[in-house]
Amino acid sequence: MIEVDRLSKTFHVYRKPPGLLGSLKSLVKRERVEKRAVKDVSFRIGEGEIVGLLGANGAGKTTLTKMLAGIIHPTAGDADVLGYRPWERDDRFRRQIALVMGQKAQLWWDLPAADSFLLLKEIYRIPDATYRENLAYLTSVLGIEKELTIQLRRLSLGERMKMELIATLLHGPRVVYLDEPTIGLDLTAQRAIRNFILAYREENRPAMLLTSHYMEDIQRLCKRILILRDGELVYDGSLARVVERYATHKVVTVHLRRDGKDCPTPQTVGDLGEIVSLDPDTLKLRVPRGEVADAAAALLSRCSVADLLIEEADVGDIIESILTARGESVS
Amino acid sequence: MSPRLFLHIMSVEARTKMSYRVDFWINAVVGFLASFGLMVFVWSAVFRESGEVRIGGYDLPTMLFYFVAVILYGKLVRGPQLQGAVSSDIYEGGLNRYLVFPTSYFLFKYAQNLGSLLPALMQLFLFGIWFLFLLDLPPDVELSPLTVLMGLVSVAAANLLYFVLLFPLQCAAFWADNVWSLSVALRFVSGLLGGFLLPLSVFPEWSREILVWLPFRFLYDFPVNVSLGKIGVLEWLAGLGLTLAWAAVIGLVGRAVWKRGELQYSGIGI
Repeated sequence: MIEVDRLSKTFHVYRKPPGLLGSLKSLVKRERVEKRAVKDVSFRIGEGEIVGLLGANGAGKTTLTKMLAGIIHPTAGDADVLGYRPWERDDRFRRQIALVMGQKAQLWWDLPAADSFLLLKEIYRIPDATYRENLAYLTSVLGIEKELTIQLRRLSLGERMKMELIATLLHGPRVVYLDEPTIGLDLTAQRAIRNFILAYREENRPAMLLTSHYMEDIQRLCKRILILRDGELVYDGSLARVVERYATHKVVTVHLRRDGKDCPTPQTVGDLGEIVSLDPDTLKLRVPRGEVADAAAALLSRCSVADLLIEEADVGDIIESILTARGESVS
Repeated sequence: MSPRLFLHIMSVEARTKMSYRVDFWINAVVGFLASFGLMVFVWSAVFRESGEVRIGGYDLPTMLFYFVAVILYGKLVRGPQLQGAVSSDIYEGGLNRYLVFPTSYFLFKYAQNLGSLLPALMQLFLFGIWFLFLLDLPPDVELSPLTVLMGLVSVAAANLLYFVLLFPLQCAAFWADNVWSLSVALRFVSGLLGGFLLPLSVFPEWSREILVWLPFRFLYDFPVNVSLGKIGVLEWLAGLGLTLAWAAVIGLVGRAVWKRGELQYSGIGI
């Protein structure tokens, strides 16, 4: 559905020195600088796949998404989405894709969402019966039927984002780009949107490319991730493999029983791993993956243990370490 | 774009514009009265001080009628909504939404532009009818249902011409961050050379010969003089054809500018 071949995008930006003198100088002459936002990126996404696109701010995620939605032209490389080159903006292509940009409202601010949806019905030429059916399904799943006739600007952020999602999916797109769909939402709204995206995927099998800074979004929705670093694709593979490859440690948490036995101290347990925290009730250790079983056995013999928990390191921390590791290759 | 979608966009825009009630009445009453009051004072003084009975072929009552028409028509020609809409879309990244839609951005904006004219159209009838009762029709003015109809058709063509003149200027936002001054420059230049600030017959002969070769006269001077009965049917048809020809040529220029500009578009916005 989506095939990307060595796609690159270079922007030209102007530098302006600070201060009044800088402003005066820039009226006459400006320094033009090239910024390579995306560099030789290649990947494929198939039907029914939700792929997470990760990267630090400025890594090129949104630029890549905009190229694949046909909004901006690439500097080099090619892409094929549903058999079309996106930036040629064939209407048949645009009828089959959708873009949600969490940081930018797509709907009309002064209109009730119902009016915007009717306009979208005309734009996408959705037959009456399909429109009614899709709208009823989407509003009921997101629980937002009553808000349809309220002016968009009077809705909460969560309600607006739900309306944006409905607007995006009304025409039943086969490819969906989701750029920060849960940004700024509270936990309940985030969860509702995630559940909705999963339900929509099951029902319609679109290809989805999801950009999010919330690891919870990625963990819940994506089995596969792409990691961009300074515009380059440094990882394309399963989320699980990243954890196996890069989580060198596990976290062992021990809940202690207060039954008169000596409490553990850095001297008695420090040899088992790095102590993350230690108080009379709980001990948390960071233990190398290969030594977890021995460490757990030692803890059970040395301390009075009420409960013991072994967890993978936080996925967000792992990804962050990859994103910030300059120049290192990722396999 | 299908006619059904075009009409739907117009309808949505008209409803949006009509929902601003305070803006409607302030714009209608204060805007009109201030503009017309200014013209009454200025031209009364000009006629009085010059001692002339006619200036540029107009006596004072006809001149005032000209300005009633030009102020009311001017709102329809320029339209309230496109003044910065295209450049804002480019600068703020709002264009992203339209580029994903399977429809023409140009036609979408043109439909919005036409829809946004509804308040100005209502003001035209509101004040136009009121003035017809209030002022005696000067002998020079041959107002009839036919001249009014011809005038309104000319205004529609003038609106299209203004739209296509403004479009490539606003596309400059693809290269420059803020192009608001270009819209202001067009408003001023077209107002001066098109007959909004004063009738073109007041201009010296040599400058009128130049103005004939420019499109601006079709924006205000032509539709108003058609409505006042100063232009016959055949001349009107020729003028209307020239208006549309200018719109087509400038539209092609706008299309070329758009094509080059969109290659520069970064979609980033503020």
